[in-house]
Amino acid sequence: MIGGLLTRFAEAGPTVHVAPHEVFSLGGLTITNSILYGWVCALIIIALLTWVARQVTLRPKGGLVQFIEVGVDFITNLVENSFDDKKVGRRYVPFFVTLFFFILLNNWLGLMPIVGEGFRSGEAPLFRPFTGDLNGTLAIGVFTMLLVYGASIRESGGIIKYLKHFFIGSPLNPLFLVIGLLEMFTDLTRVLSLSLRLFLNITIGEIVIAVFAYLGSVAAPITALPFTMLEFLVAALQAYIFTILSTMYLAIAVNHAAEHARHDSLTDDDVPETIGVNTGAVHGRA
Amino acid sequence: MAIIADAVNTAIIGKGLMIGGGFIGPAIGIGLIGGSYLQAVGRNPEAAKFLGQALIFVAIVELFGLLAFASIFIVK
Repeated sequence: MIGGLLTRFAEAGPTVHVAPHEVFSLGGLTITNSILYGWVCALIIIALLTWVARQVTLRPKGGLVQFIEVGVDFITNLVENSFDDKKVGRRYVPFFVTLFFFILLNNWLGLMPIVGEGFRSGEAPLFRPFTGDLNGTLAIGVFTMLLVYGASIRESGGIIKYLKHFFIGSPLNPLFLVIGLLEMFTDLTRVLSLSLRLFLNITIGEIVIAVFAYLGSVAAPITALPFTMLEFLVAALQAYIFTILSTMYLAIAVNHAAEHARHDSLTDDDVPETIGVNTGAVHGRA
Repeated sequence: MAIIADAVNTAIIGKGLMIGGGFIGPAIGIGLIGGSYLQAVGRNPEAAKFLGQALIFVAIVELFGLLAFASIFIVK
């Protein structure tokens, strides 16, 4: 049955769609197949995680619940250890855990034969991986970076103080001004780099599977299987990378702000000579 | 040049060059990262816990290859 679906997936040559298709229109709003798929995934993730949250016991029962528990634990440790102050890190854990599971589920369910060219409604495929659509990943990237900017401004205590962090010295010095502006620009390109990486990885995976299913024709399951397995790995890796990169962007800004706040609260008398040697360097070497 | 452009579909040659050239760099870069990681683990087995950091750099390097891939949709 899987073989039949995979050959259907490839029957018209490796047709590759990079843009999503409109499935129906809802009061002037265009609902594309990737939005539809995103809703399905969101519903699944809400139902699944709510159910798992009630199932958690002190003595693990195994199965799916434990698998999700391990994932939550992994991301929780990752986020908490990125921050100097673990209490601050704990505040942002729920967002990153949700982000990780949403991207992971999206990527993994996107490898199913019914998602993509195999399952059509009229002209267009009914489902399309939400992360295989630039609009979807751009939305995830923009909202993640909005959270990062918002949290950094809140932790540094005001937008002026936040903007000051980009300049290593006085902004009146032309060199520092140029470097500071360049830093700001680099910060803005993170939205694009985050979303483009996820989108292109998933789209290239779809294309590679489509091409190898096409080349195999009758033996499509055999030729496409190794690449589907590879995509399983890539999907998990991309979910991890998206989460850890956005965590790092947030942690760098928040740690920097916290360090400045600590520095400001100290007077000249109680600043020891070795204030520059912070724990970060020691951790890195250990 | 115009004669060649009429006889041959130059866009395909351009796309091929773009893909080839654009993938060489990240391939070397990811190889270097993996090699350095294994070297570090070989020298100090406790460094094996830094696989996550190595993967972040893989992601950063890989982006440039992906950008080269995305550019082939612009070439007509």
